[in-house]
Amino acid sequence: MNIINITCKKATYLITKKEHKAIGIWEGIKLKAHLAICSACKLFEKQTGFIIANAKHAHSNIELDKNVKAKIVEKMEKS
Amino acid sequence: MAEPLNKSMRSIQANDWVNNYGDMLYNYTLIRVNDKGIAEDIVQETFLSAWKSRETYKAEASEKSWLYAICKNKIIDYYRKKSTQKEQYAELDNSNDFFDEAEHWTKETAPNEWGIQYNQPVETKEFYGVLEKCKKKLQSMQEKVFVMKYLEDLDAAEICKVLGITSSNYWVIIHRAKLQLRKCIETNWMTI
Repeated sequence: MNIINITCKKATYLITKKEHKAIGIWEGIKLKAHLAICSACKLFEKQTGFIIANAKHAHSNIELDKNVKAKIVEKMEKS
Repeated sequence: MAEPLNKSMRSIQANDWVNNYGDMLYNYTLIRVNDKGIAEDIVQETFLSAWKSRETYKAEASEKSWLYAICKNKIIDYYRKKSTQKEQYAELDNSNDFFDEAEHWTKETAPNEWGIQYNQPVETKEFYGVLEKCKKKLQSMQEKVFVMKYLEDLDAAEICKVLGITSSNYWVIIHRAKLQLRKCIETNWMTI
């Protein structure tokens, strides 16, 4: 039983490896078995997947200071 | 006559660049370095580098994506310079905060259902504010790895090279970053 059993800490670690496509076959089997019975780790996988998919579109809306802009233009003109 | 005209054309072009792309590059950088002063410096360096090579630049890509590419390289350079061994050793193992002695979730740390469609794009703008806030709370190394992997889309080997870490460091750091970030978002995102 222990051969196949992994802890939640290990499972969440393997989820990241799987996401990077860097998981071994045996590790993959163990993770699959774990996720079949552990709803918390399954949620972890879905939620971190969601965060990652949306992180790419992270944005902010702050204007670059006018004085900084003027300084950059000045340096460009001089160079 | 040619010289002054040339000069004013240059001036117009410099002004146009900074007015058209300054805010865009600044926001792009700010999200990745979390420091206004550093972001301003990187934007400035981006424009100056682009300006110097503007004559050799061939319009294969748009001006905009060309500037983004230069800016992205400057950000990675900044990470490379900033990443020190000292910082790697200072990295604390927070992963045990999430699990009990048997390495299973505790009652407090186990993920709760968010009641959203996880495979759909995020619908509320608040999410990005929370993500930003939570990203800032990560330890420095975790934040860098997270940004380089998930915002810049670099591969693991490249990230290890830039930050001077081993691949086993990488897995551990990214694992901790995800544990921390997920928990923080769950706690702070109002929609949930």
